[in-house]
Amino acid sequence: MKKFWIAISSVLVALAVLLGLHSTTAQTTQAATNGTFKVGMECGYAPFNWTQNTNSHGAVKIQGSNTWANGYDVQTAKIIAKKLNKKLVVVKTKWNGLLPSLTSGKIDAIVAGMSPTPERRKSIDFTNPYYVSQLTMVVKRSSKYANAHSIQDFKGAKITAQLSTYHYDAIKQIKGVLRQPAMDDFPAMRVALESGTIDGYVSEVPEGITAEAANPDLKMIHFNKGQGFKTSASDTNLAIGVRKGYSETNKINNILAGMSKKQRSQRMNEAVANQPSTASKGNWFVNILKQYGGMLLTGTGMTLLISLVGTIVGFIIGLLVGIVRTIPAPKNTGERGLLAFAKWLLSVYIEVFRGTPMIVQAAVLYYGAAQALGVNMDRTVAALIIVSINTGAYISEIIRGGIISVDPGQTEAASALGMTHWQTMTKVVLPQAVRNSLPAVTNEFIVNIKDTSVLSIISVSELFFTAETIAGQNFQFFHTYLVVSLIYLVLTFTISRLFRLIEKHLDGPKDYNVMNNQMQVETPKIK
Amino acid sequence: MSETILDVQNLRKTFGNHEVLRDINLTVDKGEVLTIIGRSGSGKSTLLRGLNLLEPPTAGKILFHGKDVQAEDFNLATYRAKVGMVFQNFNLFNNLTVIDNIVVPQMSVLKRDQNTAKQHALDILNQMGMDPFINAKPAQLSGGQKQRVAIARAEAMDPEVLLFDEPTSALDPEMVDDVLNAMTDLAKTGLTMIVVTHEMEFARDVSDQVLFMNDGVIAESGTPDQIFGNPQKAETKDFLKRYLSRA
Repeated sequence: MKKFWIAISSVLVALAVLLGLHSTTAQTTQAATNGTFKVGMECGYAPFNWTQNTNSHGAVKIQGSNTWANGYDVQTAKIIAKKLNKKLVVVKTKWNGLLPSLTSGKIDAIVAGMSPTPERRKSIDFTNPYYVSQLTMVVKRSSKYANAHSIQDFKGAKITAQLSTYHYDAIKQIKGVLRQPAMDDFPAMRVALESGTIDGYVSEVPEGITAEAANPDLKMIHFNKGQGFKTSASDTNLAIGVRKGYSETNKINNILAGMSKKQRSQRMNEAVANQPSTASKGNWFVNILKQYGGMLLTGTGMTLLISLVGTIVGFIIGLLVGIVRTIPAPKNTGERGLLAFAKWLLSVYIEVFRGTPMIVQAAVLYYGAAQALGVNMDRTVAALIIVSINTGAYISEIIRGGIISVDPGQTEAASALGMTHWQTMTKVVLPQAVRNSLPAVTNEFIVNIKDTSVLSIISVSELFFTAETIAGQNFQFFHTYLVVSLIYLVLTFTISRLFRLIEKHLDGPKDYNVMNNQMQVETPKIK
Repeated sequence: MSETILDVQNLRKTFGNHEVLRDINLTVDKGEVLTIIGRSGSGKSTLLRGLNLLEPPTAGKILFHGKDVQAEDFNLATYRAKVGMVFQNFNLFNNLTVIDNIVVPQMSVLKRDQNTAKQHALDILNQMGMDPFINAKPAQLSGGQKQRVAIARAEAMDPEVLLFDEPTSALDPEMVDDVLNAMTDLAKTGLTMIVVTHEMEFARDVSDQVLFMNDGVIAESGTPDQIFGNPQKAETKDFLKRYLSRA
């Protein structure tokens, strides 16, 4: 996670340096100009924050969606916004996207159960803590470690924790423990625990309570006093992240100071009680569809929209680029130079967009444009642009291959008839090139359906992002992703069949039956 | 004196260091049928493709009604519409039906409206007996049928000159006559034609002028009677002996 973020930020920094626009312009975009308090969170880290389908228990609508956010973070943010006299807006943002969203001004604060680590302090500021956490261990209820009361009871146990967290370092406090490689996220650790590849994972108390509530097979260990993990305050504190020099930081600190310890634990208890529970009765498949059918449908719609529009627009880009790249060299020297330059630009475009991952392109466009140029783009628009441009680069080459594969005699015949390059291309060559390219274009479409999942980096709620949200709530990772993979499969299979039909239709029958010809005016001469 | 349509002066064509055509001079009059014969590789097709600038000449002039076709201000597209071409491999537009193969160029180049172009195409296809196939795709036709459609496509542009580049060489023997008949019919209408062919009977019976090409030059030219009845050069005799002995 950390590595990834470093990669993203270095790309952003490179972009900023390139444009000669250092952080001086980065502060130009201030989201809180119209009395709103925009707060970024994952909406998938219960009990701190989660997504729900109704506005029950004082949930707050998530910006640009039909779902609501709730949890300890949301309730805390609500109080702060009220005291700041601002309207609270919840912006659902992936964990990796929280810091760039804040620094690029897309949100005003991160309230997402984040610890104010020294690393993070390099790029953003933190308020005073709004929650103090405590480390615990989550184990299987049936295992021999279920009755542990001291961390030293885990001698010889296979234990892991989340990558680049202080949880993972804390494992070293257990003598004789078998520290396993760190894992990416809690879902992965829960699956590992259930499957028996690990004996337990280090977690924080609220997460442990949630895990217990969601899955009766799991148990959170209550350590005896003085026998738990030793932690430092900078790690266990959870604080609100704000931009450096944010004008409201002091006010927020005052508001936080006014919340008593009792009020905080009361709020956490409510959050734990209110978090969405998994319906354990009945068929899991039916339950997922019943509870999250709407969300899945919206996610599927978004995935389909982005990949469809991206493929169509990319196809048009590919066609135009294909036409320009095959224009024959004109006689006039000036025109020839201009054409050569245009062709060079197009090949740069193709190389750049084929040569970099779409996930990086999305991050650069969405966060980079905001940070360096002050352009605040809509997420969906940014996604459509990126997928279109990216697909265009690939399809340009596919179309070029299709054009090359058309018999040169076709072009020759068209020239001999006096047709212009444009007429030859549109009437003769491209229809054949497109037909030849169709299988490859189908491939692109299918790849797009699957690859839109990388757009979760800019928090577009497509199918995969939706699945992550759902799995983060119901803790049924295997089941949720199984349903989602089924949806992906149905989409891609339908598309591949559909395109086969289109190809068949374009090709027509192999033989020609003169008797079926409606326009026949006389019997054919048979020689 | 009949009107001269094409006047070729000192035409030369090289591919790299290889000289394919040397010092070609010829004139084609209105209504004339000129056939070009010779061995494979003698430069016949290159000469034909040079005439409509599919292979731009290295040197020399081509005058169409006295105008230099290689001049900057010469309208090449219009010229090509007036000088049609029929290829050895037909080169029908594979994505279009028979009727559209003939309609689309008329609309694109001559700016005819669809109805006019379609009626014109149907008239020509009727004459050739190809009208039952108007909605067929080229892939559904036999070679002889394809070539007749290709001739119809060129004819529909109302050309002043039609160039034929070995129009029967890619055909099965039983289909050759269909195509030759269509060409003979065209010649009778008074259309100017330049035909590169290995069909010696056609050259002898239909053409007004015969060119024998050898090694990139016009070795001998004259009326069919002169060339076939009384050839002057040894290589002409040699060439004709081989061909006629086969027939």
